[in-house]
Amino acid sequence: MRTLLSLLFVFAITGCANQSLYQWGSYDSMLYQSYKSPEKIVEFRQGLEVHIAKMEQSKQKVAPGLYAELGTLYLQAGDSKKAVDLYGKEREIWPESRGLMDSLIENISKRGGQKAEVKS
Amino acid sequence: MNIAKLWLFFLAFALSGCTVAPKKDLSAFNAASPRSILVVPAVNKSLDVEAPNYLLSTLAVPLAEKGFYVFPVNTAKFILEQEGFYEGEQIHQQPPESLAKLFGADAVLYVTIVRWDAQYALISTTVTVQFEYRIVGKDGAELWRTTQVMQYSPQSNSSGSLMANLLVAAVNAAVTRAAPNYLPLTQQANQMVFILGPNAIPNGPYKKATQ
Repeated sequence: MRTLLSLLFVFAITGCANQSLYQWGSYDSMLYQSYKSPEKIVEFRQGLEVHIAKMEQSKQKVAPGLYAELGTLYLQAGDSKKAVDLYGKEREIWPESRGLMDSLIENISKRGGQKAEVKS
Repeated sequence: MNIAKLWLFFLAFALSGCTVAPKKDLSAFNAASPRSILVVPAVNKSLDVEAPNYLLSTLAVPLAEKGFYVFPVNTAKFILEQEGFYEGEQIHQQPPESLAKLFGADAVLYVTIVRWDAQYALISTTVTVQFEYRIVGKDGAELWRTTQVMQYSPQSNSSGSLMANLLVAAVNAAVTRAAPNYLPLTQQANQMVFILGPNAIPNGPYKKATQ
């Protein structure tokens, strides 16, 4: 009786065949943790990296936004080359992101250019 | 409540799961048929300063699973901060058209946190979240809005002994009081408004493509 009830409950909660479109690799809970304790941002970056590598290896589509989120984490850590690379990947698989990714990449390369000018 | 009533309740709930008739007019949403949604940090009317960040971490997944391209929420937050926008109030006051243009988004999701609190009684605690959701198209026209309240108070299983029940209730209340967990409630609220509820938004292009 109890099993049947809980089965029904699960059915009710999940509704009609709510199959997920993507694998998120606990993206949301890592993001939550990084807001809760900012030092967890390193774990967030590493966790995303591992998840994305897994997706690429099994040739599955990376969920919307994940490449760009990882790119931003690298940008904040000072690795703009990696950020540009990841923004490029986001743009490649999600055409809706093109405008934003273009301007992010452009801004980074402009800043890089300024730095180079200052040095010379 | 006896078992038969519970059965009926669950059965009704399970059966209604996927055939609820939409109550609200979704023609504006359907006409705009956005492909991409920008989620901006929420306006916070609660006393918990962390609430907007926690809420933000729960919004991308259900919207993307609904079939939309969701702009990376943490990246969007970072970009807005670079532009000098730190607070939800400030961001919600900007013309939606210019926000949409800055990101190249078809629509913007605005959420206001109305309640995010825990009310303490002697042996029980009730945790409440309440959100107002609004999706606005890139031309500034409102496409959809809804409100959702979720409440939770830990229930102890009746063991037949009053003392034991009181003890369990007291422990539950203490745990909830020490660290009220708003996340499951927030996720349920999002599930209701985007996916399960009678006024859920229509499926986005990536969900339609799989059907």
